[in-house]
Amino acid sequence: MAQLNAQHIDYIVKDLTYRGIILEGFRDEVIDHVCSAVEAELEKGVRFIDAYHHVLRSFGHTAGLRKTQQQTLRYENQKTKIMLKNYLTIAMRSLAKHRFYSFVNVAGLATGVAACLVIVLFIQHELSYDRYHEKANRIFRVNGEIKFADNHYKLAVAPAPLADALLQDYPEIETAVRFRQRGTYLVKVSDQAENIRQDGVVWADSTFFKIFSVPVISGNAGKALKEPNSIAISRKVAEKFFPDGNALGQSLILDNRWNQKVTAIFEDMPVTGHFHFEIIISMTGLEEAKNNKFLANNFNTYLLLKKGASAQALEAKLPDFVEKYIGPQAAAAVGGDFTMEKFRAAGNKIEYTLMPLRDIHLRSDLTAELEANSDITYIYLFSAIALFILGIACINFMNLSTARSANRAKEVGVRKVMGSLRSHLVRQFLTESFLLSLFSFALAVVLAWFLLPFFNSLAHKELSIPFSDPVFYGAMLLAAAVVGMLAGLYPSFFLSAFKPVNVLKGQVSLGMKSGLIRSTLVVFQFVISIFLVVGTLTVNRQLNYIQNKKIGFEKDQVLVVNDAYALSDKVEAFKNEVLQNNFIKNGTVSGYIPVNGGWRSNDTYWPADSEPTQENMVGMQGWDVDYDYVKTMGMTIKLGRDFSREFLSDSSAVIMNEAAVKQFRFEKDPIGKKISTFGGDNPDGSPDRNSIKSWTVIGVVKNFHFESLKENITPLSLFIKRSNGYVIFRFNAANTQNVIAAVEKSWKKLAPGQPFQYSFLDEDFGRMYASEQRLGKTFAVFAGLAIIIACLGLFALTSFTAEQRTKEIGIRKVLGASVPSIVMLLSKEFSKLIGISFLLAAPLSWFAVNWWLQHYTYKVEIGVLVYLLAGVFAFLVAWLTMGYQSVRAATANPVNSLRNE
Amino acid sequence: MYQATMHSSELLKGTLQTIVLKILADHGKMYGYEITQRVKDLSDGTILLTEGALYPTLHKMEAEGLLKTETVLMGKRVRKYYTLTRDGKSVVQEKVREFAAFMKTMSALLNLQTA
Repeated sequence: MAQLNAQHIDYIVKDLTYRGIILEGFRDEVIDHVCSAVEAELEKGVRFIDAYHHVLRSFGHTAGLRKTQQQTLRYENQKTKIMLKNYLTIAMRSLAKHRFYSFVNVAGLATGVAACLVIVLFIQHELSYDRYHEKANRIFRVNGEIKFADNHYKLAVAPAPLADALLQDYPEIETAVRFRQRGTYLVKVSDQAENIRQDGVVWADSTFFKIFSVPVISGNAGKALKEPNSIAISRKVAEKFFPDGNALGQSLILDNRWNQKVTAIFEDMPVTGHFHFEIIISMTGLEEAKNNKFLANNFNTYLLLKKGASAQALEAKLPDFVEKYIGPQAAAAVGGDFTMEKFRAAGNKIEYTLMPLRDIHLRSDLTAELEANSDITYIYLFSAIALFILGIACINFMNLSTARSANRAKEVGVRKVMGSLRSHLVRQFLTESFLLSLFSFALAVVLAWFLLPFFNSLAHKELSIPFSDPVFYGAMLLAAAVVGMLAGLYPSFFLSAFKPVNVLKGQVSLGMKSGLIRSTLVVFQFVISIFLVVGTLTVNRQLNYIQNKKIGFEKDQVLVVNDAYALSDKVEAFKNEVLQNNFIKNGTVSGYIPVNGGWRSNDTYWPADSEPTQENMVGMQGWDVDYDYVKTMGMTIKLGRDFSREFLSDSSAVIMNEAAVKQFRFEKDPIGKKISTFGGDNPDGSPDRNSIKSWTVIGVVKNFHFESLKENITPLSLFIKRSNGYVIFRFNAANTQNVIAAVEKSWKKLAPGQPFQYSFLDEDFGRMYASEQRLGKTFAVFAGLAIIIACLGLFALTSFTAEQRTKEIGIRKVLGASVPSIVMLLSKEFSKLIGISFLLAAPLSWFAVNWWLQHYTYKVEIGVLVYLLAGVFAFLVAWLTMGYQSVRAATANPVNSLRNE
Repeated sequence: MYQATMHSSELLKGTLQTIVLKILADHGKMYGYEITQRVKDLSDGTILLTEGALYPTLHKMEAEGLLKTETVLMGKRVRKYYTLTRDGKSVVQEKVREFAAFMKTMSALLNLQTA
């Protein structure tokens, strides 16, 4: 066989290389093939060069050779395992090489994802409320709306006889249950002396277990609560009072008076419900539940509709129902020629509607809710914040990746020259992005795990990461993939589109030239950050305003002793004994206190010199207090005088607030005017028009806030009457522990066996704004997070630009530029962006702030200052971030950056 | 592409892998040029494997683990030999069986006298 000589082989090798055959593995093979084929031709006596060209032709010349090479490459790369391994190795190396960027990327994304994860857990928790009731979609609560005589009530309660009347008239209702709440109770086991104060006590109809999915673990659900004086208790309560475990059939004594037999023990109700009862008392024992008064709304009423029944259809029939049952009683109460038409025509309203059970937790904020509910607004707000933060984090990711592109342009060029296809590069960059995203998510779960206890205490929740749920891992992986994809898509396509010729010649757009998108993203980040800062400042200023507003009474240094009724007839003795202590200034006994939890009593009054008509009736709070109430509370008498023991006639005297004076149109001279109200009811529940009580106005108290500052101050009057809810002491001592100890000592002496419960009035007041405080703190935390992430990104971006411009800076310095001017130069670009962000964020936050403050009747003025503050803050933080990098770049010795040229 | 065959390349397309596998199964270690020559000899010149189709197929089958390679240095040239892996050997049988069944079906379908 003819052998080719060395020159021939060299010729072939060179020629093939020239034709672009370079693929490792393929190249050698082709050379060998060509040589073999040429040798075979030579054998036949053909000239070398002719033989070579003949062989080349069989490959299809240059085009055919290249096509075959490419095809081979493509087939080789379908070797998925090796391909992935290859991508992974390169990705790992590239990430490790750029440790700083990788760190910033992972840290930013992980923080964002962790915050997002916590919020998602929270939202999921909120949305799961009342889902545990199997019949939830057939359960509806009856809501009431009553508008009458300048009063407007939106109620979660309905009249006592309403449930029965509805059941009787509308067959589509399967059954109904009513709840009546009357605060906390003192509870003890019958043979023991020690009382325990118990929350979550409610009166309910025996249908409770039929409607709600609360499993009975001991006793018969069908028979429980049927008899008067029977109760059902939760597992927790059973364990508390009967630790040896045989609670069923035993008795508990409520409020030292009622002996109640345990007829069922039910499983503790899940956190995710809008009520959590511990003790359910049979409604059969409650007189109030049996009356026929349609004008008193005290019962939370829930209906279970039959399968297939339409709630809308039922709701549409309720106006007729109101007409039929409530109309006659209203006519009897108001008198005259009352008709429902006229009543409505005067702008009044009595209306009942149905609310789906599952809506209650997030969409109901009515008077007399069983428990304070959450608010759907928070869900929207938190969702928005979660999206914002995730958005900022993803933007960082994209920004840094594209910024790095300049450094990687050469890599891309070389890869392409070496035969990389665009799809290979896209895959390579996507792999890197996936990898980073995966790291970040793993880190995020760890971070969230650390963050969660903190968030739980902030939001009063008990959230946990569902580590045992496979869905959770699936969701996290999917989210990591989606984020990796989204974040990696733009950089990967942007980078892979580089033309190798341009890149290797150094003509690729470097740095900020390709920065339009990047600038937009930076602007977006800072808009959100500034927005969140404004939000934080606003919420906190409003809270501050609430804390410091003159509310009409002195809330500091006031001790409130709860459950005064436990003292029964020794209340005065207790009060007097405590007053012996010289650090106690005043004391008063009343159930009515101007914070949440105090008693409320609304009734209708009219000026005594006229007949009660629709026009002159005033709905007003009537508070039963004693002679020392105004003094102890630190309220101000504006006109007339305070109650006094010296005037025997004060038992029929009244002190009004300014709002009431205005409502009665007594502005000219209120003192000495008289008001009246009904003193009793007819047997059918309507007010008895023959029994009328009257009072004389002796004083006017300055308006004080007795509801949240979201509400207007409504008419209110103080009457001298015993109401044993609380004993309230104003003290004057630096050491509150001494005060508590002294009061507790007296309590123990006069009410042995009764639990001593107290609070401070300022704390009770603060609690009314707990959700605002939570909102303020949460806002602050997330605003902080957003800024940290945004700054991380900015930090990396500046360091990157500084690096990019090392040579430029060097030359500028050589030519005499000063350090400050270079720092300026480097920071100018980003400063401009932050300026733009501020301009965009300001109107946005202005709208949001106004929207939020709308809920408050009494609100703080949010001046331009707050916006400026937020802007300056963002600017400062950004400058500090950039400053470090800029100064470092500006102070570098130009020799170092220029010597390599 | 250069194609001087009596059989159309369309017909050959699906059978290329089978042919290469079968030849390697019968002759053991072979290099690319050798395979083309062997096919040419065996088919009396009616089937000419184009290089453009052969090498991608070889590399693909290597990637799939049907073939393994060893390279031998020959002076200035490097020769790459292909042999079947264990997977490859089992695939050959399968492919040949499959092709036989296919031929049977085709002849029945096209009403040919002999296969």
